[in-house]
Amino acid sequence: MSKVYIKSVGLVPVGEHWNKSLTDLMVDASLNALKNAGNVKIDRIIVGNMMSGYLNNQEHLGALLASALGMKGIDSLKVEAACGSGGMAVHEGYVSIKSGEFENVLVVGVEKMKDADTSVLTKALAMAESAEFTQVVGASFISLNALLMKMYMNRYNVQEDHLDIFPVIAHKNAVTAPHAQFKKAFTIEDVKRSPYIAEPIRLLSSAPSSDGAAAVLLSSKPADVEILASEVSTNELMLSQRENPLKFEATEKAFKKAVEKSGIDSSKVDFLEIHDAFPIVAALSLEAMGYSEEGKAAHDAAKGKYNFEGDLPILTFGGLKARGHPVGGTGVYQVAEAYMQLSGTAGKNQVQGAKVGVTQNVGGIDTTSIVHIMRKVS
Amino acid sequence: MIPIAYWRNRKLYTRLIGSRCKKCGAEYYPPVKVCKKCGSTEIEEKEMPKTGTIVSFTKLTEPPVDFKDYAPIYLAMIRLDNGILVLGQLADAESEEIKIGARVMATIRKWTEDGQSGIIYYGYKFKII
Amino acid sequence: MRLNSAILGYGAYVPKYRISTEEIARIWLGEGSGPNRRKAVASYDEDALTMAYEAASIALKMAKYPEIEAILVGSESKPYAVKPMGSILSDIFGFNKILGVDLEFACKGGTEAVQMISGMITSGVIKHGLAIGSDTAQGRPADDLEYTAASGAGAVVLGQPNGNEIAKITHSVTFVTDTPDFWRRPKEHYPTHLGRFTGEPAYFTHIMSSVKLLFEETGYKPSDFNYAIFHQPNPKFPVEVGRRLGFTDEQLKPGLLNDELGNSYSANTLVALNAVLDVSKPGDKILLSSFGSGAGSDTFVIEVVSKPDDDDYIPLREKLKKYVEIDYATYSKWRNKIIR
Repeated sequence: MSKVYIKSVGLVPVGEHWNKSLTDLMVDASLNALKNAGNVKIDRIIVGNMMSGYLNNQEHLGALLASALGMKGIDSLKVEAACGSGGMAVHEGYVSIKSGEFENVLVVGVEKMKDADTSVLTKALAMAESAEFTQVVGASFISLNALLMKMYMNRYNVQEDHLDIFPVIAHKNAVTAPHAQFKKAFTIEDVKRSPYIAEPIRLLSSAPSSDGAAAVLLSSKPADVEILASEVSTNELMLSQRENPLKFEATEKAFKKAVEKSGIDSSKVDFLEIHDAFPIVAALSLEAMGYSEEGKAAHDAAKGKYNFEGDLPILTFGGLKARGHPVGGTGVYQVAEAYMQLSGTAGKNQVQGAKVGVTQNVGGIDTTSIVHIMRKVS
Repeated sequence: MIPIAYWRNRKLYTRLIGSRCKKCGAEYYPPVKVCKKCGSTEIEEKEMPKTGTIVSFTKLTEPPVDFKDYAPIYLAMIRLDNGILVLGQLADAESEEIKIGARVMATIRKWTEDGQSGIIYYGYKFKII
Repeated sequence: MRLNSAILGYGAYVPKYRISTEEIARIWLGEGSGPNRRKAVASYDEDALTMAYEAASIALKMAKYPEIEAILVGSESKPYAVKPMGSILSDIFGFNKILGVDLEFACKGGTEAVQMISGMITSGVIKHGLAIGSDTAQGRPADDLEYTAASGAGAVVLGQPNGNEIAKITHSVTFVTDTPDFWRRPKEHYPTHLGRFTGEPAYFTHIMSSVKLLFEETGYKPSDFNYAIFHQPNPKFPVEVGRRLGFTDEQLKPGLLNDELGNSYSANTLVALNAVLDVSKPGDKILLSSFGSGAGSDTFVIEVVSKPDDDDYIPLREKLKKYVEIDYATYSKWRNKIIR
C-alpha cells in the first residue's frame, strides 16, 4: 500500500464572490494548487460539495471540473457528506492513493452559497438531517444545534457566554489570516449583543454562509507533508435517535481510529482544526477527542488551553466561524491549513515548530466525522 | 414541501405511528425497518404515546423557506412517555412559559401549506398541558 | 321527524386566544365595544379541520371509540373548497369505510350533520356516526359582524340508543326559506349581509317557525324542557327569542356563551350543547334550535339519559377559564387579513 502525501494546496479567499460562479471557484482553487505543484500529471479529480444541486442547479461536478480544467478523460466524481463533504473528498483521495490505484489526485472542496436567499439556504442546510421527519416539522440546522446546546447547558451547568469563548478564539486568529472571510476580532460582549437566531445560538456565534473553494493535490510520491491517517465514522442521522445526543460518538471513534493508525501521541499534537460551526459543536468535538473532560471544554478554553499561544492551538486561521464555512469546501480548507502549518508556510499564523496536526470535519451534527492526522516530513 | 411524500407519511405525522421491534421490544419514532438495538427486521407498527416531557426547546427566528410565513417557530425535543425522544414544534408556545421538564400532549395543527393553491400539510405539534 | 338516535359522546374545542371587542372597536372607531365582550380566535396554525379533530377526539374518547361509518362536518370556512374534512379525518381517526362529506348551511351546517346522521341511524343504515360543526368564521374588517365572528368546533358521536347513552335525540324538525340575510359568493373572502334584516325576517322568523313546528308535532311546551339552546349570533338574540317562545332565563343561562366566545358559526349550538350536557342530569329534556342564514332552523328534542363515563373528561366551562388575549395586529396576522 502507498503512503499519501500532500504535494500542494490552492485556496480561494473565503467570502462573498458575486463575480465568481461555482465553476469559477473550483477552477481558481485547482489552478492554484496545480501551479504550486509544478509539473504533475493528475489521474483523478474528486470534488467535495453539499448543495450544488439545490442552490446552483448543478450536479455532475467531477465531470464539470475535469472539462473546465481541460482534462476530459480523467476519472472524476463528486463526493457528498453534508458539511463533511470536503473532509470526505480528502478521505476519498487518501483511499485512492493508498490503494495504489492512483498516483496524483486533485481534491477540491467548494460551495457557492451567496446566490441563495437566507431562507432557501436554511432549507438546503437542513438536508443534512431527515427530509421526512426533521425538515417537515420546520426545523433548521441551527435550531437542532440550539436544542443540543441547551441540553448541554442544562446538563453541565454551563452558561451561554462560557461557550461563546470559541468564536472569540476563532476571530482573534483570523485577524492575520489572508484567506479568512472575517478578519475582525471581537469579545464575548459583542457576541451577546447580536440577536438570537435560535436561542441560545446568536448571529455572532454561528458560522457564516460563504463562497469558497480549496484544493489539495495528494500524491503517492514524497512531499513536505504526509497524511498519516484518514478515518471516518458515522452517528445516527437524527439527533433524536441518539442514546446520548451529547456524546459525539462519530468524532470519538474516528479520532481514536486515526490516532491508532497514525501511531502518534495524541497529547503531542501541535494544532487542531476542529469543526466549530457553533460553540456547542466546538465544545463537544474537543470533549469527544478527549482534550477536555465532559462539560469542561469551555472552562478549559477560558483558561487559555486552546488559545494560539496555549497548549493546543485550535482554529489557527479562524476556523469555520471566522475563516468561513463554504460548506463543501471547509474540510479541504482545514487540510490545506494543516499543510500550511506543517510546511512552515503559514505566515503570521504559523504555529512554531508544528510537526503533527489534526483536522476534524463533520457532516450534520457529528453525523459523519472525518479525522485526518498529518505530519511534517523531515 | 412535497405533496406525495407527505401523503405517504400522513398517518405517521398525524397519529405518531412508529415501530416496535417484535424481537427485543424497542420502540421507535420515526418508524424503522431494522431495529437499532438488536438488528432484527421483524418490525411491527405501533402508535406512540401522545404525552411526554420537554427535554430541550428553542425559538427559531429564521425558519427554512417552506415555513417562512410562520416565524418564529418553537421547536422542542420531547421525551415521550415510552422513553423515546421526538423532535416537534410546540403549539401555542408564544403565550406560554416554556420550561425543560414541562408536560406536553401531541395535537394536530397546520405545519404549512403550498401557497393558496397547494395542499395543506397537517401534522403533530405539542401543547403544554 | 321522529328520530331515534343517541349521543354516545360529545366534545367541543375553543381556541385558547381571545380578542376583546373593545380592541376591535379601538381600531375602527377609536372607542366603544361590540355586543359581546370577547371572541375566540384560532391561532395561525389552526383551521376548521384541526379544531374538528380536537372536538371529535374528545367525543370519540367519551364514546369509547365505536366503529364510525359517517363523518359529516358542517362548516362555512372549509380549508379546501373541494376536498372534504371527512377525507382527512378518515385517516387521522382510522375510519375508512365512511360517508365523509362537508355540509354548508351557514351557521346550521353542524346541526344538519346531526340530523342526517341521526336519520341514518334511525333508519338502521349505519350504527355509529360523527357529526361535527367547525368554523374559523371570517369577520370582514370594520364590519359589525367582526365583533362576533369567532372560531370553534363541536362534535357528537351518535349511535343507536341502548339505555347506556348520554342522551337520546327523539325528534327534529327543520324549517327553510329563501331569505338572503347573509351569504358569500365563491371567490369572496368575506360574507356579505343585510344588517337589521338579519334579525326579524331571518333569525327570529326561522327559529320561531321551527320551534313552533316542533311544538305542534310533539305537543311539547316550553315548561316541558329543563334547558333551551338557541343559536347565538350575539348575546341578545337567543335571550329575546327564548323569551318570545316562553322560555325562562334559567332554562337559557347554561347554554349562553356568546359574550365570552363570540359566534363560532357551524359550531355555535354544538358548543353550547356541550356546556349544557356538562351540567344536565339524567331525565332532563333539552330543546336545541339552530339558525343558518339563507335561511333555516333545525330544532331538536334531546333527552338526557346518563352522565359521561370518562375520568379524563374536563367540563367545557373549566377549560374556557384559561385564555390569552391578543391585540388586533396579531389577530390580523393570524387570520390572514394582511396582504404580503
